[in-house]
Amino acid sequence: MLNFALRRMAWMAVMLVGLLAITFSISHIAPGDPAALAAGPDATREMVERIRVEHGLDRPLPVQFALYLGNILQGNWGQSINTRHAVWDDLVLFFPATFELVVFSILIAVSIGIPLGVLAAVRQNTWLDHSIRLVTVGGVALPMFWLGLMIQLALALHFGWFPLGGRMDMMTDPVAPITHLLLVDTLLHGEFSIFVECLHHIVLPAAALSIPALASIIRVNRAEMLETLKQDYVVNAMAQGLSTVRIVAIYALRNAMLPTMAMIGLRFGWMLGGTVLVETVFDWPGIGLYAVESAINSDFEPIMGSTIVLGFFFMLTNLFIDIIYALLDPRVREQI
Amino acid sequence: MTLTRSLVLGLGALAVVAGTMITDAEAFERRGDQKILVVASRQKVPILDPSIKYDASIRTMQQALYDGLLKYTGTPPEYVPWLAERWEVSDDGLTYTFHLVKNAKFHNGDPVTAEAVRWSYARTLELGQGPAWMLNAVLKAENIKVIDDHTVSMTLDRVYAPFLSFVPWWYIMNPAQVMANEVDGDMGQKWLIENEAGSGPFRLKRIEHGNLLELERVQDYWRGFKGPLGGVIYRLIRESSAQRAALQKGEADIVTGLTPDEFEAVSKTPGMVTSTAPALTAFGLKFNTKAEYTSDINVRKAIAWAYDYDAFVKIFNGRARLQTSPFTDDIKGKITVPGMPYKDLAKAKEFLAKSAWPDGGFEIEYVYVQGFEVERQMGLVLIDALKGLNISVSMVPLTWANMVARGSTQESSPQLMAIFATPVSTDPDAVASQYHKSSWGRYYGTHYYDNKEVHDLIEKARYLSNWEERRPIYEEIQMRLVEDQPEIFGMMRERMIVYRDWVKGFEYSPVRMTSELDLYPLYIE
Repeated sequence: MLNFALRRMAWMAVMLVGLLAITFSISHIAPGDPAALAAGPDATREMVERIRVEHGLDRPLPVQFALYLGNILQGNWGQSINTRHAVWDDLVLFFPATFELVVFSILIAVSIGIPLGVLAAVRQNTWLDHSIRLVTVGGVALPMFWLGLMIQLALALHFGWFPLGGRMDMMTDPVAPITHLLLVDTLLHGEFSIFVECLHHIVLPAAALSIPALASIIRVNRAEMLETLKQDYVVNAMAQGLSTVRIVAIYALRNAMLPTMAMIGLRFGWMLGGTVLVETVFDWPGIGLYAVESAINSDFEPIMGSTIVLGFFFMLTNLFIDIIYALLDPRVREQI
Repeated sequence: MTLTRSLVLGLGALAVVAGTMITDAEAFERRGDQKILVVASRQKVPILDPSIKYDASIRTMQQALYDGLLKYTGTPPEYVPWLAERWEVSDDGLTYTFHLVKNAKFHNGDPVTAEAVRWSYARTLELGQGPAWMLNAVLKAENIKVIDDHTVSMTLDRVYAPFLSFVPWWYIMNPAQVMANEVDGDMGQKWLIENEAGSGPFRLKRIEHGNLLELERVQDYWRGFKGPLGGVIYRLIRESSAQRAALQKGEADIVTGLTPDEFEAVSKTPGMVTSTAPALTAFGLKFNTKAEYTSDINVRKAIAWAYDYDAFVKIFNGRARLQTSPFTDDIKGKITVPGMPYKDLAKAKEFLAKSAWPDGGFEIEYVYVQGFEVERQMGLVLIDALKGLNISVSMVPLTWANMVARGSTQESSPQLMAIFATPVSTDPDAVASQYHKSSWGRYYGTHYYDNKEVHDLIEKARYLSNWEERRPIYEEIQMRLVEDQPEIFGMMRERMIVYRDWVKGFEYSPVRMTSELDLYPLYIE
C-alpha cells in the first residue's frame, strides 16, 4: 500500500509539470497583453514597455517558463502584474475559502444524497422514488448560477433567513488566521459566536454548490443499491429474518458505496475548480474567482499558481479515493 | 418505513436549525454609536497607490484617502481649490504657483507641506505609471520648486492648456511615512499597495482582499464635514441582482454598476433615491479606418447613416442621450455639429453607391466585450441595420484583455469595435487627443484615424493658453471628425446610481467614471 501511494505521488509530480507546461503555453498563446492592461488605458508605449521589462515579459517564452519553474522550486510563486500582490499570499488567502466551501458542500451532498439514494432504491417505483428522481434530474439539469440566484433571492432576500453573501458579517472583525479556514480558526480561537456567524454564511453557497453533486450521488447510489439488493446474500439475509434496516445499512450499503465513493472523489475535484459561479453570486472570495479574474486580465503568474494548487488537490483527492477504495475492497488491494 | 421516518425527522431538525438563524434586516450598519455607510460595487480595488494605477474603484478610494491640490465638483464639472487655496499662472503661461492651505494634516498628524507636494509629483513622474502620462511630456521633477512651507511652483517645458484639468488626479502623499516603508529603493510601492499616507477625509481601517475595504472618517478633517458619519465599507458584490438584493435588504446603502433592467426595478422600490445624469463617457463604434472596406470613407458613412441610433437609447431603457458632436455635452467648447448621422437608409445607400462596393456583399467584424449584454444587443441592432445595405456582420465577443490586444495594431484591429471611453478631464484635449495619432493602438484609438490636418489642429490647440484662440480650433476639429467618420458617434449613457433615502449629501459630477463615487460629502441622517 505504501509503495502504491509513493508511486502515485511520483506520477503526480510529473503530471503537475505537464499541467504547468500546458497552462503556460495556453495562457501565453492567448492574444492579451498583460503589460498594457496593467499600465492602464491611457498609458504611453514607454510606460507599457517599462512594465513589460520589469516583469520579464520581454524574454522568449522558453526562458520565461524556465525562470518560472526555477522560482517555483525556490518557493517564489511570483507576483500579479495587475494587483502587484504576491501570488503565494493570494493563494493562501483564497484557496482555503474555496476548500472550506467545497468540503461543506460535499458534506451536505453526502449526508443527504446517500440516505436519499438508499431510500429511492428500497422504495423503488413508489411516489417517493419518483419524487427523488425528479429532484435529481432537476439538480443535474438546472444551471448552478441560476439556482444560486434563486436560493439567494428566496432564502436570503425574501425570508431573510440567511445573509446574501460573504464569509462573515461586514462589521465583524475577522479572527487572526491560523489555517485560513474560518470555521476552524474561529473554533481554535474559541470565538463561538463568530463560528455560528460563519456557519450561517456558508449554508447558502454550499447548498447551491452541493445540488449537482447531491443529484449525482443519489443517482449512482440508487443504481448501485438496486443492483446490490438483488444479490443472493441479501435475499438470504432477508430469508433469515434480519431487519430491513440491518440488511440495507450494514450489508448492502457497504458494497454499493464503492462506485459512490469514486463519484464523491471526482465531484470533490470538479467542485474545487468549478466554484466560480457560486463564488460570483455569493461573493465568496475563493480561488475560482481569483483564477477567472486573473485569466480575464491575462495575469500569468496567478493563473499558473491557481493551476498548480487546483491540479495538486485534484490529484491528491483522486489518490485519497484510490486508497480508500483499496481499503474497502480486498480485490482492489490484491491488484496493487 | 423506519428509514422514511428517520429522513423526515432529520429534515425537520434541519428546518428548526434554519429557523433559528432568521435575522432582521437593519436600516444601516453601525460601529458603536457611529453610522457606517455601505457601498456595494462590482469592481474591486486592487491597489491604493496614487502613483501606480487608477480606475473607477481605485479612484473612489484614492479620493477618500488622499487630497489633491484641486478637486473636480459639480455639473458641469469644475476644478475647485482644495489643498491649494489659490494659484497663479505666470504671464508666459509656463509657471503655476500653488498656495497651500495651512491647516491640512496627514493622517499621522504631519502637516501637508509644499515639500510633500513636490515629492509626490516627483514620485509619480519618476515611477512613470498611473497618472504619469498626463503630465510627463511637459513637466520635469526638477522644475517643481518649493518656495516656502506652503507655496510650490511648477514650471512646464511648454505651454500646456490642459495642465490644471489634470491636477485633481495627482494626489499628495506623506513622504516621511512612505519612505519609512521603502524596500529596496521602491519608493514605498510595495507598502502603498494596501496602505495609505494621505490627508483625505477618510483613513484606511482594514482590507479583506476580494471582499471589502473599511474606511474610518477623520473626524477632525481639515475641511470639515456636512453631516455625521463614522466610516464607509466598500463591499464587493459582483452580481447585479445580488447588489439589488443587498440594497433592498439594507445590507448596502449605495450601489453602482446595476444593469439597466435591475436599475429600473430597484428604482421603483420605496425608500430608494436614484441619480441618473449623463456623464462625460461616450459610447461609440470605432471603425478601423485602415481595414478592408472601412478604409473607404463612403462605406463608413453608409454604415453610420444606416445605424438605428434610437436603439442606443432603448437598450438603456431611455437612460441615454445621443451625441450631437464627437465631444460629449460637458466638455468645454462642445458644439452641436450639423450633419451628424441619423438613421436614413436612402442616404446610406447613396454613400454606399459611391464606394468600391456599391451593392454591398461583404462582411465586417464587430468586436465587443464578452458577457457585456448591452454591447451584444448593439451588435444585433447593427446586423439588422446593415441588412438593408447587403452588408453582413460577424459578431466577435472577446475578453477585455483580448479586445485591447486586437486593437493594438492596425492589422489586427477589427472593422468595428464597441468602446465606452471616459475622458479624464473636462478639457477638450482629453477627447480630441483620442483622435490624434498618439492614441493609435490604445483601446480608444483603434480607429487608426490618419488626417494630418486634424492631428496638427489638435496639437496646436493643446499648446495654446488663450481659450478664445483654442475655441474655434476645437469647433473645427469636431466638424472635421464628423466629416471623416472614424466612428459611429453614439450616446452618453446616464450614470445609474441608487441609494437609500437616509443617505444624504450625494454630489454628482459627470467627470467621474461609471461606478466612481465621491465619498467625502456623503453622510447618513
